[in-house]
Amino acid sequence: MRKSRLLVFFMLLVTVVSAGAVVAQDDGVTLQLWGASSSEAENAALEAQVAAFEAANPGIDVEITFSPEYDTTLQTAFASGDYPHVFYVGQARIAEYAEAGVLDTAEGNLTEPEDLYESQANVFTVGGTFYCPPKDFSVLALEYNPDLFDEAGLEYPTADWTWDDLRAAAIAITENTDAVGFAVGADLDRWMAFYLQAGGQIYNEDGEFVFGQDDNMQAAVDALTFFQELREAGALATPADLGAGWSGEAFGNGAAAMTMEGNWIIQYMLDTFPDTNWGVVPLPAGPAAEGTLTFTVCLAVGADNANPEESWQLVDFLTGPEGAAMTAEAGFGPAPARMSAEALWLESRGEVYAAFVESAEFATAPILPVGFQSFRDALNNNIQQVLDGNLTPEEAVEDTVDVAQDLLEE
Amino acid sequence: MAQTLTPSSAVAHGSFMTQADRRRQEALTGYAFMAPAFIILLVFLIIPLLAAAYFSTTDWNGVTPLTRPDAYQSLGVRNYERLLFEEGIRQERFYTSLKNTIYYVLGVVPLQTVLALLLAVVVNQRWLKAKGFFRTAFYFPSITSSVVISLIFMWLFTSNGLINQGLGAIFPNYQNVTWLNDANGVIHNLLRLFGITRAAVGDWASVEIASIRLWDWISGPSVTMLMIMLLATWTTIGTMMVIYLAALQNIPRHVYEAATVDGANAWQIFRRITVPLLRPTTFFIITIGLIGAFQVFDQIFVISNGGPNDTTLTIAYLVYASGFTDQRMGQAAATAIVLFVIIFTFTLLQRRFVGDRAVT
Amino acid sequence: MATLALDTQPPEQSPVARFVRRALPIVGAIFLITFALIQILPFVYTLANSFKCLPVIGANPQAVIPVPPFGVPCMVDGSAVSASQQSSGITFNPSVEGYQEILNLNLPRWALNTVIYAVTIMLLRLAFDSLAGYALARLKFPGNRLMFLMVLGTLMIPAVVLLIPRFIILKQLGMLNTYQGLIITLAADGFGIFLMKQFFESIPEEIEEAAMVDGASRFTLFFRIVLPMATPALTALAIFSFQGQWNNFLDALVIIGGNQSLWNLPMGLAFLRGAGGETLRWHQFLAGSVLTTVPLAVIFFVFQRYFVEGTAYSGLKG
Repeated sequence: MRKSRLLVFFMLLVTVVSAGAVVAQDDGVTLQLWGASSSEAENAALEAQVAAFEAANPGIDVEITFSPEYDTTLQTAFASGDYPHVFYVGQARIAEYAEAGVLDTAEGNLTEPEDLYESQANVFTVGGTFYCPPKDFSVLALEYNPDLFDEAGLEYPTADWTWDDLRAAAIAITENTDAVGFAVGADLDRWMAFYLQAGGQIYNEDGEFVFGQDDNMQAAVDALTFFQELREAGALATPADLGAGWSGEAFGNGAAAMTMEGNWIIQYMLDTFPDTNWGVVPLPAGPAAEGTLTFTVCLAVGADNANPEESWQLVDFLTGPEGAAMTAEAGFGPAPARMSAEALWLESRGEVYAAFVESAEFATAPILPVGFQSFRDALNNNIQQVLDGNLTPEEAVEDTVDVAQDLLEE
Repeated sequence: MAQTLTPSSAVAHGSFMTQADRRRQEALTGYAFMAPAFIILLVFLIIPLLAAAYFSTTDWNGVTPLTRPDAYQSLGVRNYERLLFEEGIRQERFYTSLKNTIYYVLGVVPLQTVLALLLAVVVNQRWLKAKGFFRTAFYFPSITSSVVISLIFMWLFTSNGLINQGLGAIFPNYQNVTWLNDANGVIHNLLRLFGITRAAVGDWASVEIASIRLWDWISGPSVTMLMIMLLATWTTIGTMMVIYLAALQNIPRHVYEAATVDGANAWQIFRRITVPLLRPTTFFIITIGLIGAFQVFDQIFVISNGGPNDTTLTIAYLVYASGFTDQRMGQAAATAIVLFVIIFTFTLLQRRFVGDRAVT
Repeated sequence: MATLALDTQPPEQSPVARFVRRALPIVGAIFLITFALIQILPFVYTLANSFKCLPVIGANPQAVIPVPPFGVPCMVDGSAVSASQQSSGITFNPSVEGYQEILNLNLPRWALNTVIYAVTIMLLRLAFDSLAGYALARLKFPGNRLMFLMVLGTLMIPAVVLLIPRFIILKQLGMLNTYQGLIITLAADGFGIFLMKQFFESIPEEIEEAAMVDGASRFTLFFRIVLPMATPALTALAIFSFQGQWNNFLDALVIIGGNQSLWNLPMGLAFLRGAGGETLRWHQFLAGSVLTTVPLAVIFFVFQRYFVEGTAYSGLKG
């Protein structure tokens, strides 16, 4: 008697539990989130934000995978047809992935999209379609060493500076101190800012690649000439010239008085050169406009997604007002991409870094069309050749444009 | 049933097998022995290779999921044409990478073979104490991951790095060389010492073969490429030394003793006895060295990404860049197949000339 | 070949020749020691710099001599300690912050995984590669030459181009992100087969023929006679396989990259290196490098003597 009642009870228990499990499975969604691994602290911060999301959304579980060699792994996943729900996409890759049709669009899926900095939303708008919102971003600004400026008896840089101010200061410092005025690499990812400031365009309104062509040719020549002049006065040095791995290192150990680097230099200076004083202002304005380069990553939802709704919920949380506030409070180098979180970030990172968010207004991402690695190599090389005195700015621009034409014809 | 008895099988007790039976048994044993390894190679290497060969005839970008019906179009041999025969940036990059790779191979393979042999012979000497220490020390670079080694190498060779500091201390007029960012070919540098430059030589040097000027074909490896070659040699001689050591153990001591008694000195022993006896091993080392050198990738990936000015662009790196950076997987596959054919040809040539015959 | 010369007196040597003979070992030793130092010097720098705080690595990378106080902190009152307080010239105060930071990550797990992969793959390769190598060297069967060429061919493919096709195959087989996925994929390799084949070919055939006359089957022949003679080659193969798999990054990235708890040390190291070269936490990364390299060095040091001791080449006498 007791046995059969026990048996019935047991069977009921099992039924209830399994029914509950089935029901739970129906409600429970597990999302795959892939990202590139950055610093440990940033990884931990992302995990904290995701945990907050999971707490607010009990039916959704998120599995985060950080991958070294992220681009390779992600591309392999795309190719096999088996890719994650949510993943980071760098600005260098947005056009290609959009073209390959592996991205869902952001229209109608985000809270208060107008709160995003326009320049940031533009980075991830391809052919008129906005694909994915960025969480945070970095821009290039002008860092300067006040001690070296004092030594040379100069006024510190301001947000109103122009090319002429930069040139004068760099030359004066080079002549009056042991340091070089301005350190920068022969790199498209730096020099392009000057091209933009001279009025050059990378793409025209129709989305065509127009670097250095027609009206833009003069802008390119002007920007290269500016570098050349500084170089000839001995006021411009590349990291290699100064024996440093990158400009930030040269700046940190006092070999250079000014450099143009992005938000990542904040933590670097605090960690590696805590004794060096420094300040930062937006890049000087060129003959035509203010301009700087931005580097950012967006959170995208995969196309053909099994759980599009939940995926967008996750993305909206991480990049929306709530997520942006958390990012701001975490106080990392890159600033959150939403204007509403600007004040919070300045508070936690430091008011002195205001230049980085002020520059968001006139920032453009130096994105190249698909398959343009050769163009990048050619331009970098030509910039170096101009610095070495082997090419005139005109020749350098012509050669670079030739390479672009070659690639565009393919 | 006619039984052909060979002398040995006549002696073997109780086994009256025909020649055909023995052959079949041997064949079956052969397949059985080969099976595990060969199946693994087939599934995980050979079939992917065939897949890659297939993709080389398409315009697939390496991103669009293959599960989609419109993922790619067939191009026939177009990728190969563009790579090898048509003037343009693709051809230029390919032949630049070919040139760089050949200089690399010609420099690294002989150097690492000779050094590895010398090291193995020296470490094997009876009079050498602390052999374990030396063997381990020489092998050290080989066991450290190539990423780590490359990063350390970069740090040592920066403009203010330890190498330049050291050289500056030794040579009073030393000018810092930017080892890792110097695109000047070493042959060009050498010729320049004698006043021979492109301008001086005449117009014929500007003729383009496969999109590259004749003068540039003979540039030699760039300074940076030379550094990477030295790095690769330094890393691999440990491994090859180990192989030579294993082979040296197989040479019986009495051979050396007999030669010494005959009055041969160390050099003669080395040249007349050691080297010939090591011939199969040398063949092996050269083959492995060739194959490895043609595929050099890791160091380029970490140190230079093909720069400066494409002078460290090797074919294997070009495959990666085409497939994963430029998103042209079909093109990358075609480049890989061409590389495969090149390596295969070189290896066959090497077999013919260096020979595979064991010395009895 | 060798005739016993009763007159074993070497010819008279000039003073110069005598001097050279005596100086040679000394010169040779100096050369050897220098060369050995060159081989391990970069590692010495790695070791030293892994025990420093970041500012010290930036300012004094050449400092290799640790001096007390040991175990200094890198942050004091919330800001980093400057380099001049912890180093000067070639001396520095060691700190363990780099090591502490990586041990907080999954490093022990990754180390265990690396051992599992390296040992299993090594054992499988020893078995499969020697079997296949012997078959190619000594057994006659149709397709012998073709198979050898195919084996050799697998070495000539740039690994990069195989990534995606192999990924898809593994996906179809359901072997992605599993231990067995990585292990089985790498359980045999063309290099090892080639190595063993070359070695087996260098063993005189007379030995095997003698055994076959005595009635041994091919299996017995292989396991009882040939394999024991192959100890140097097997040791070499074991070392290469172990070391190669210990440091394998590309295959691990594609096959087990999706599951952090399956990662090996190179994956972990790449993870530490992170996205940005400039923001690399050097002491962490170098500490990881040290922990990745030292076990291998120790294992190699322990096993390399088998080259000499394992060779019972009694063989055929003269």
